[in-house]
Amino acid sequence: MWAQWRSTRNRFPRANQAGVAFTGIMGLIWYGVFTYLAVVAAFLLSSPAELPTLRQVAPGALLLCFLYWQLIPVLTASMGSSLDIRKLLVYPVPRGSLFWVEVALRISTSIEMLLLLVGSGIGLAINPSVPIWAPLALMPFVVINLLLSAGVRDLLVRLLARKRVREVVVLLLVLCAALPQTLLLSGSRGRLRQFFSSAPVPALPWNATAELSFGEFSWFSAATLLVWMAAAYFFSRWQFERGLNFDRGEASGRTTSARAANRLEWWYRLPSVLLRDPLGALVEKELRFLSRTPRFRLVFTMGFSFGLLIWLPMAFGRVATRHSPLADNYLALVSVYALLILSDTLFWNCFGFDRGAVQLYLSAPLKFSVVLAGKNLAAVFFVALEVSAIALVCALLRLPLPAIKSLEAIAITFVVMLFILSIGNLSSVYNPRAVDPSKSFRTAASARTQAMLMLAFPVALIPVALAFLARFAFDSEWAFFGALAGGGALGATVYFYSLGSAVRASEQRREEIIVALSRGDGPIAS
Amino acid sequence: MSAAISVRNLRKVYGSKAAVDGLDLEVPRGCFFGFLGPNGAGKTTTIRMLMGLAPPTSGSIELLGLPMPEHALEVKGKIGLVPDESLLFDHLTGPEFTEFVGRMYGLDRTVARERGQELLELFELSSEPRKLIGDYSKGMRKRIAMAAALIHRPELFLLDEPFEGVDAVGARLMKEILLEQVRRGATMFLTSHVLEVVERLCDRVAIIQQGKLVLDSTMAELRSSSETLEDIFVRAVGAERPAETLDWL
Repeated sequence: MWAQWRSTRNRFPRANQAGVAFTGIMGLIWYGVFTYLAVVAAFLLSSPAELPTLRQVAPGALLLCFLYWQLIPVLTASMGSSLDIRKLLVYPVPRGSLFWVEVALRISTSIEMLLLLVGSGIGLAINPSVPIWAPLALMPFVVINLLLSAGVRDLLVRLLARKRVREVVVLLLVLCAALPQTLLLSGSRGRLRQFFSSAPVPALPWNATAELSFGEFSWFSAATLLVWMAAAYFFSRWQFERGLNFDRGEASGRTTSARAANRLEWWYRLPSVLLRDPLGALVEKELRFLSRTPRFRLVFTMGFSFGLLIWLPMAFGRVATRHSPLADNYLALVSVYALLILSDTLFWNCFGFDRGAVQLYLSAPLKFSVVLAGKNLAAVFFVALEVSAIALVCALLRLPLPAIKSLEAIAITFVVMLFILSIGNLSSVYNPRAVDPSKSFRTAASARTQAMLMLAFPVALIPVALAFLARFAFDSEWAFFGALAGGGALGATVYFYSLGSAVRASEQRREEIIVALSRGDGPIAS
Repeated sequence: MSAAISVRNLRKVYGSKAAVDGLDLEVPRGCFFGFLGPNGAGKTTTIRMLMGLAPPTSGSIELLGLPMPEHALEVKGKIGLVPDESLLFDHLTGPEFTEFVGRMYGLDRTVARERGQELLELFELSSEPRKLIGDYSKGMRKRIAMAAALIHRPELFLLDEPFEGVDAVGARLMKEILLEQVRRGATMFLTSHVLEVVERLCDRVAIIQQGKLVLDSTMAELRSSSETLEDIFVRAVGAERPAETLDWL
């Protein structure tokens, strides 16, 4: 734990100060919101008058907390800090100690929920009508969540290291994520309401925790929490031990068969048919490289499937009408959502997967603007592929998507992408960081990504919002496309200007870029 | 004919520490030049400055008669680089990587592919063409890096510890290929900690210590003295003290 702390601590003075300040401010905003919610929870729970109402909603709130804790790291493909345990096995450290360190590091994936639970605990503790021991019941709930998330992480890391299994797992996760709203919006609302309004099942940890933390002691609830804790411990310890014996190289089976390789060769060679070298070679290399990168394959599958399944019930479910704004703009919405999911790998840190090999770009006889353009064109290729896949599925599902709407979606995605590329090129040069392409999950805290999403996307969406406004004001498709074309022209100007700035910055910062991208992974991730 | 490398009063300062401090160096064309120094002496920083990967704080660099960075693009096209940290893309196969590098250096796609294949055969890496570089052993990674560095027939090679982690057979193969390049007129600028390798390959040697040049001599001159290169090296870097012992060890 000391080494983990020192690794994180040592990184800050050496990191790009502007990047650190930016991450810090965004972290403050993000966690500040949850701290505020924790204070609200404490305030509400400290009032005896509010207690009966809150008792009713407590199991549901704890269930949401449980789901956030277990699912959000999976859905954002961000598993927080972690130890590369196998590198530590050479030291005479008992496995049990390593296991508990790994469990403690799970705190890093859900500080938000810990803040809320601490706030709730404080509120209950100062509530005169709640027994003094009652808030302590939240502690086993925290332990269960920590143990479970450690086990889930180990399990997923192993599953996602396996080719093809990875894609199936992601689809299953997507289905799980889309299930609640699919049920809500497709006629099962009544049954769901009945399920939640009926007497809660006491053997579930959120129900037992709610009961005990509000001072309603029962041996059954106490035993329930103990059993869940024991089960979570055995599950995560089992997964931990399996993780130690896991051979990533063997599981990934990275040598592709000649047939499979030949089948994809035309796709890889496509950019070289359309573009001259070195641009063609650069884009071709990106297609080959990214197509084989577990992390990219994961986000690409997520970008394609998440948007479709999550927005589909909302847009075309029984509750929504087939001519709601959501249904009308479904393809555009899903495409922009896919852009958002892909942004971390394709735009914000486009040299991340290259790591030390970025030296090749800087030592070869080619202009850095060509390298960036190659990266950007590869991103455009993948986004086009993603949007085409989404459109194809929409067509197969016979969703009402007229040609004009498809054109609209492509235009919107293109305009948004121009702005994202502009910001991404600067971010890739000013804040580069090495990313292990063979790991499906990233370890970085979510605050930085959240920050980029919070700042960059609203800016990139402004021209689109203006185009919709123009359509509303003039009641004309021409107005919409005219405004969007204006946005595109502005985006192109911003893109070329930012490309120039990024090239100039790369001249001045090439040493820092190489150092930042050559940083290898130790046993401790920071 | 101008020198392959001509460096005048080169300095690189990090904070208050000079990694390279007033370096003057002249490497004739067709020379196998050994650039030695203890760890942290400034060898890699020098290579990075030569390659344009790190801007010098002051001083001038001329490579193959052309000033840097003014003629950077032209010069880079004539240089083959094998750096200490691998510049390989782990998710490409060997043939894909060599072809990619060839095309980066302006070769036609077909030529790059053919040369890549031949180089892989030469470096005994052609048996598993679909294996990703990420799955290569350390020695194989060094070999593919050197194969890629050769693809555009460079006039000047910058080699930073190229034999590190390479087995005896692979190292011998690589040495023979490098010597053949020198015979055809290319220049080698080699850093290595293995003094026997330097002694065998190089015809000129310079030693750098704390960023300053402390020795620049031909191998023939050094061989005429009774000392071995190791003795000369140790004396030049001022490390002639006896090994200390720890009471508890």
